[in-house]
Amino acid sequence: MSDAQRLSAAECLRGARIVFDRELESYFDSPIAYAYAAVFLVLSCTTFMNSFFLDGVVDMGPYFTALPFLLIPFVPAITMRAWAEEHAQHTFELLMTLPLHSLQVVLGKYLAALCFYAIVLAGSLPIVLMLLFLGDPDLGRICASYLGALLLGAFFLSFGLFASGLTRDQIVAFVLAALFGFFFVLSGHEKVVEVLDGLAPAYQPGTWLYETISVLPHYEAFGHGVIALADLLYFALMSGFFVSMNYLSLQRSKY
Amino acid sequence: MIRVESVTRRYGFLTAVDEVSFAVDQGEIVGFVGPNGAGKSTMLKMLSTFIHPTAGTISVDGLDVVEHPLAVRRRIGYLSGDTPLYQEMRVDKFLRFIARARGLKGDALQQGLARAVELCGIEDVLTQRVKECSTGFRQRIGLATAMVHDPPVLLLDEPTHGFDPLQVLAFRDTLRALSPDRAILFSTHIIGDVEAIADRVLIIHQGRLLGDGRVEQLAADADIPGAGLEAVFAHLVRTTTPAHV
Repeated sequence: MSDAQRLSAAECLRGARIVFDRELESYFDSPIAYAYAAVFLVLSCTTFMNSFFLDGVVDMGPYFTALPFLLIPFVPAITMRAWAEEHAQHTFELLMTLPLHSLQVVLGKYLAALCFYAIVLAGSLPIVLMLLFLGDPDLGRICASYLGALLLGAFFLSFGLFASGLTRDQIVAFVLAALFGFFFVLSGHEKVVEVLDGLAPAYQPGTWLYETISVLPHYEAFGHGVIALADLLYFALMSGFFVSMNYLSLQRSKY
Repeated sequence: MIRVESVTRRYGFLTAVDEVSFAVDQGEIVGFVGPNGAGKSTMLKMLSTFIHPTAGTISVDGLDVVEHPLAVRRRIGYLSGDTPLYQEMRVDKFLRFIARARGLKGDALQQGLARAVELCGIEDVLTQRVKECSTGFRQRIGLATAMVHDPPVLLLDEPTHGFDPLQVLAFRDTLRALSPDRAILFSTHIIGDVEAIADRVLIIHQGRLLGDGRVEQLAADADIPGAGLEAVFAHLVRTTTPAHV
């Protein structure tokens, strides 16, 4: 029986925790993380405040509607350095020769990126306090929307890390992840669906993409306050798929 | 402790290591010598489980490196030629991360850290960021990461790179002090390091092992009895390389 087969869930998490601690600390060791968080919060909050003042409704809907489009460039900015930086500092070899399974390393990096994203997302909580102060917002819907935003980030981070593992160049990793993001978000946009359906009316490719692959219909359900098992499964399976692909791409480097 | 049997490693059409066999026993310090691109680093990468051999078998402490990579990694201390360090981290935090990843905790972790810090003489830079340390200190930090868990096998790729002459002497003393309990294999371009501390020499060129033995024995085999390692090395490499203008 090989080492890989013997790794228990508890051992897997113990190793992942060690990598997680280092990765999370590395985010806050760098001024880039603070700049990233500040720019993300300013952009997301100003987008929301604009519609808040124009519509005059005590509702966080516009914030969460804009989020997928903001994450297209912002998540790749988090993940692009994840593996490329290891190659640049030659620490990839160090990491891969420590007594840690590749899966532990991938999970540690993924969970640290997710934790960093969650911290940045939590920076929007003052908006909730402001809405509570000004009126009576639907808290259930807001909580569901935050869950959707967290799952959306988890999905984006999974393919962002996968893209970073495919190349040693941070810029290439950024562009690849942003292209993934565009594809998954825009394939759920009404106008894109119409255009794609118009290209091949017999096959309705736009509708097919919308119904099977696009992230928007699954994400938007959370915005309506609906937490459906199908949507939870979509995010879990898609994120799991890309995390697994990241793991497999690391294994490939041994041959 | 280390057994390498008929190992070949290919990168596409390039054969970096070709049918190499050797062994290193406990208590031995073995120097791995060869020109640039000879296959030294590739061999160490395979021993460290970073890459798999294309053919042949490698075992460390009786464990196959492909079948039991995690168990092998617990038994080795490996310093790769690039001296891989997280530049933004503080030295003490970096060493703690490595020690935790190598399975140390509690008192064992504290003792391992204290021992590696003392052996490598890096007390003065513990609270500095790695990127603020000099080249020599960075190399010593790299060595500390390889020694923190007190492994029975040490694999060191160019371990004295960036050292000043005094640091080289100190390093040789450290290696000698460590050798009775473990198998040590180190690669280098510096013939003086090998002559000063290695019990045995492996000479590799173009992926093939040209010599394995003590310097005197290699010199006698090459029909230049009494010659030093430099002369033996040059003789073996030249007789297997086509002449260039």
